[in-house]
Amino acid sequence: MSALIGLLGVISLVFFLIHMIPGDPIDVMLGESALTADREALRQGLGLHLPLYEQWWNYLTALAQADFGHSLFSGRPIVDLLVERIPTTLHLSAMALLVAIIIAVPLGVVAATRQHSVYDYGSMGFALLGISIPNFWMGPLLILVGALWLGWFPVSGQEGWNAVVLPAFTLGTAMAAILARMIRSSLLEILGEDFLRTARAKGLSPTKAIFIHALPNAVLPVLTLLGLQLGGLLGGAVITETVFAWPGLGLLMIEAIQQRDYPVVQAAVLCISMTYIFVNLFTDLLYAWLDPRIDWQNPS
Amino acid sequence: MVTMVWLSLFLISLTSGCTESTPETTIRFGLANTPTNLDPRYATDATSARINRLLYSRLVDFAQDASPIPALATWEVLSPTHYRFTFIEPRPTFPDGTIITAEDVQATFVSILDPKTTSPHRGLLANISRIVTPSESTIDFFLTHLDPFFAGSISIGILPANLIASNHPFHDQPVGSGPFLFHHRPDDTRLILKRRQDNQLVELIKIPDPTVRSLKLLAGEIHLLQNDLPPELVSYLAARPSLSLQQRQGSNFAYLGFNHQDPIVGKHLVRQAIAHAINREQIIHFVLGGRARPAQALFPPNHWIGTSQLLGYPYDPAQARALLAQAGFNPRHRPTLIYKTSTDPFRLRLATIIQDQLQQVGINVSIHSHDWGTFYGDIKTGHFQMYSLAWVGLKTPDIFRQAFHSHSVPPRGVNRGRYADPTTDRLIAEAENTPERIQQQALYRELQTRLLDTLPYVPLWYEDHFVLKTNEIEGYTLHTDGNYDGLLHVQWASASRTHSQLARQATP
Repeated sequence: MSALIGLLGVISLVFFLIHMIPGDPIDVMLGESALTADREALRQGLGLHLPLYEQWWNYLTALAQADFGHSLFSGRPIVDLLVERIPTTLHLSAMALLVAIIIAVPLGVVAATRQHSVYDYGSMGFALLGISIPNFWMGPLLILVGALWLGWFPVSGQEGWNAVVLPAFTLGTAMAAILARMIRSSLLEILGEDFLRTARAKGLSPTKAIFIHALPNAVLPVLTLLGLQLGGLLGGAVITETVFAWPGLGLLMIEAIQQRDYPVVQAAVLCISMTYIFVNLFTDLLYAWLDPRIDWQNPS
Repeated sequence: MVTMVWLSLFLISLTSGCTESTPETTIRFGLANTPTNLDPRYATDATSARINRLLYSRLVDFAQDASPIPALATWEVLSPTHYRFTFIEPRPTFPDGTIITAEDVQATFVSILDPKTTSPHRGLLANISRIVTPSESTIDFFLTHLDPFFAGSISIGILPANLIASNHPFHDQPVGSGPFLFHHRPDDTRLILKRRQDNQLVELIKIPDPTVRSLKLLAGEIHLLQNDLPPELVSYLAARPSLSLQQRQGSNFAYLGFNHQDPIVGKHLVRQAIAHAINREQIIHFVLGGRARPAQALFPPNHWIGTSQLLGYPYDPAQARALLAQAGFNPRHRPTLIYKTSTDPFRLRLATIIQDQLQQVGINVSIHSHDWGTFYGDIKTGHFQMYSLAWVGLKTPDIFRQAFHSHSVPPRGVNRGRYADPTTDRLIAEAENTPERIQQQALYRELQTRLLDTLPYVPLWYEDHFVLKTNEIEGYTLHTDGNYDGLLHVQWASASRTHSQLARQATP
């Protein structure tokens, strides 16, 4: 219920904000030389002549019937646009997540188990770099190395299985940096716990103790962060999608904002909000699966 | 087992978002934007217009001096309000093999004029009262009043009548009789066309970031790109041995616009001071890399109404200061202006240079950059003091009425600065009502002199067009208006060698 209220709030807020910002879609669609009668006809045809609250109500009513409407510019049904763009964004997000986990887990573990060593400083230094380097710089840098110097990957676009590697690394490294720091601090807390000392006393090797006992216990706070990060990724990695000409949800939304394509912006924001809600829900469910102490049916 | 499941998911994820590749022989053209609408009845953006030229044929085209010339048909002016167009044989065909007919032309224009279509071009063609097809190869247009530029205003792609009747989605699946056929559109960033004469595939790829577009050209993933690159990138790429640069003088007119109702820039002396304060030669040389020429008027000298006799405002900071003093300003009482521009980094850079040059003569400038929708909305509603923009693809002199006539304040026209000058209004009306081209030419030249004197705009420059291409292809030629007609003749360098060798062998 609270998720639904949140969703309604986001939809309404975006609806009113996008209508408040200056710029008229009719101008962008028809240009300035169009006849006044035509402008009015189009305005009426699109329902933009109605009072804002009425437009909002009409929009919600249509939405309740799963009718997202049509793009004001291309005239295409918005559902078609979303169906094209969402899998593309999902693909990139999944790969970025994979890259982030592959980088973050070993870095975080090494930094925690060898605290204050050169490995720790090296890992955290890398993490700091990852957080600090903006995607609009990291993207072209990776293109230069991976595509131009080594020739292993295409510069941009979606053609071929390896086209996702560079954008996934661009997104994944920033995410890995945050995750690695989180894994390190979480693991440091766990490493001092009694159950781990007991496991070691029973003769378990340090590697097994860490990966079988410590890491699963350290993963809960990481999971929260991962959920938020994944929500952000699915919501559209706008800069990365622009740099790599990756036709995902973020790029669609930016183009729609520039063109004042109200229905597309609203639909894209709705998708992003729903993504956040579902990812958070999924994270909560994962908690229970990872930690048997959490019982959603008997919270007490 | 669990590992296998994860591995399968990984592989599915790795391949699920990929799109198909085009054959190696496809010529790839990098664009900053993809066309928003492939239906010529609706297209208004430059990219759509340029691509629609390739997909659809039209009755009338434009010569190098922007005079209207026959494309599909020749025309006779039977009376000032009656134009007859007759097809030139042989006529092109639609993809299904049917020849373009007078009925198709009639259906296209009737559809544009239908208010239900809400075509942005209806306003331009509102002068048409009736369209008649006396024969299958003749079309008569009857006008409500005299319009000496009518032939130029119907340069719109012709659609097949039967598909118009069936509401075919041309915006998505274009069907025309142009030199290219729509092949397919794998995703929103890619459009593949097939050249009719030799089935050569040409892929138009949207790559929004200019740096990435350049890197893609360097990597050989695209074979050419045209315009929309910062000058420093053009110079860098032009120096690469694998690439070559072609340039051509353009007609896109960059200018500074003013709000004539503003107490500061509404003063003629202030606008004159601004015109003298801007060192255009220096900006063109150092910032635009020499790829522009100073402008004095809306149309360049090579346009049929253009003139090279306009003297303009030379860079003269002392004169600018003197004019400001005459306008009542001095170093202790400096005018402060808000300069609106878009968020485009290059336009912002130009704005900061102009800001500095105006600062040097005693004009404080505050730059306000906004996203395109906000910027355009502000310009249209007159919420500005000064702004910079460019007119792209201007062909016919009817722009003078739209941009400078006192009755053309938005929404009735594009006189965004609310400029009002009775002499300008008179000259526009006289030129429009003069059927003789020579007299018209003289009147428009007088009008341009008047505009340069009164300065509704401070003319800046005409940016050149350029194309950067890999040495793998050849035969691409640039056009003054920056269209993509060069794709009609572009070909693989090796293929062209083979063709020329074959031609030489065949020639005794």
